[in-house]
Amino acid sequence: MERIAGTGGRSGSTGGEKEEIGAESFLFGEEIQRLMTGPPENGSSFTALLGLPANQAMELLHSQESDTAPAELSGEAWRDNHMNPHKLYYCSPTFPANTTLIDRAARFSVFAAGENSPETSSVPSNSSHKVKNEPTDTDSNPNSLPPLISNPTVENKNQRSTKRKEREKKAKGSTKKCKNASNETSEEAEKLPYVHVRARRGQATDSHSLAERARREKINARMKLLQELVPGCNKISGTALVLDEIISHVQSLQRQVEFLSMRLAAVNPRIDFNLDSLLAPESGSLVDSNFPSMVMPLMWPDVQANENRQPYQQLWNDDTLHQPVWGREEDDPHNFIAPEHSLLSYDSSANSGSLQSNQLKMEL
Amino acid sequence: MTSNRVFFNTSSRKARCARRFLQSLLRIRQRRPGSLSSEEVRQRSRRIKMAAYSSMACTVGSRRAWSRAIIFRLQSRAGRHGRMRRRCLGVKKKPSREMSQADRLRDLVPGGEALDFCNLLEETAHYIKCLSSQVEIMKSIADIYCRS
Repeated sequence: MERIAGTGGRSGSTGGEKEEIGAESFLFGEEIQRLMTGPPENGSSFTALLGLPANQAMELLHSQESDTAPAELSGEAWRDNHMNPHKLYYCSPTFPANTTLIDRAARFSVFAAGENSPETSSVPSNSSHKVKNEPTDTDSNPNSLPPLISNPTVENKNQRSTKRKEREKKAKGSTKKCKNASNETSEEAEKLPYVHVRARRGQATDSHSLAERARREKINARMKLLQELVPGCNKISGTALVLDEIISHVQSLQRQVEFLSMRLAAVNPRIDFNLDSLLAPESGSLVDSNFPSMVMPLMWPDVQANENRQPYQQLWNDDTLHQPVWGREEDDPHNFIAPEHSLLSYDSSANSGSLQSNQLKMEL
Repeated sequence: MTSNRVFFNTSSRKARCARRFLQSLLRIRQRRPGSLSSEEVRQRSRRIKMAAYSSMACTVGSRRAWSRAIIFRLQSRAGRHGRMRRRCLGVKKKPSREMSQADRLRDLVPGGEALDFCNLLEETAHYIKCLSSQVEIMKSIADIYCRS
């Protein structure tokens, strides 16, 4: 707070009178020196450094001052290193580099809240839920220290360690908890920071390998499904070859769609009428099978006369209406043998393809 | 009986797809009857291709990633370039050969850019099913055209 006010006043003075620059730079250097010499004891400049409201920072200080004063010192030095360039170059009333510092401040406040809980000091693994939310932070932090051997009994001796060490310990406490859940001995887990346990068959070590195994099994199952879908893929073994085959199959299907659309577009437009009559006999057969045949000549010229899609729509609706009738006739085994006789067999109708093609020829 | 029901289900989906495609085909053909120049034929073929994909996607609905992608692409016809690609973190660990294959598959399957490998395979399976049924539909229509 006081620093912000000071910089605001300084920038105003630099804007106004130019002869005060020397004195001002002197003041400026003095403040930098004050910052560089060491951590201040009172909390006010600390709040100014953090750019936080005073009560929040005081809460931070009070919650941490018992056991983690050295951590604050190191953090203070780090913050000084990061803030001095901004003070030197920007010299603006707004606090520079707010994102990193506020981020750190928020993280510190999180940990301060975590340390207030009574069971944290005894068992570190119980308070690991807050830490688990930011596991990447320890990796992305360039100042992060190598993980130490975490032992709950040595917890009180390590009180002089920094915040990050504690955070990593908590994270490791969470992994330890997983291992305890899976009946692993905790001493083994404490020896190594990153344990790569080669799991035997059917033995799950921790949640990561469990998840990875589940993922691999899922991928294998889907690969098998795809192998059944893609023709000629059953004999091939190996993920890469199967993937190659799948890719080429998809490509060939897409190319086929393109080719068929070209073919459909290039058909002589005089056959348009045939498409209309194509739709008609299907409905005609339907009408034929369900209604007296006198109805058909009534509908048939109607289709031929006006070429809008409205009658087809109705006929399609008829089509859907009479699907249960076709479903009853589904027992005919010939339906499934020759589905490519006509387009009509792609409909849900279970009329045999040969019958429909005969009708189609009749109508045409 | 169960096999019959399964057949009925898939064939009803196919029938809906075929119906939709035929309707849009008729619409395309009625737009400009008469003889066409080669440019018009090309445009019409492009339109038919789009109709084929959209009938596929609309039949499936918005349940699948690939159909959503197709519908979205058809709705914003301009085809935005430089769309941000999100890669999943899990794919980066894979060896380079398989990763390149997965990327090729991502490029092929519409809407596969944002998927991780596992979901990509699932989408691919469904996409292959629908695409092959669409190919059958188009093939039968073209056969009927050529026969008559």
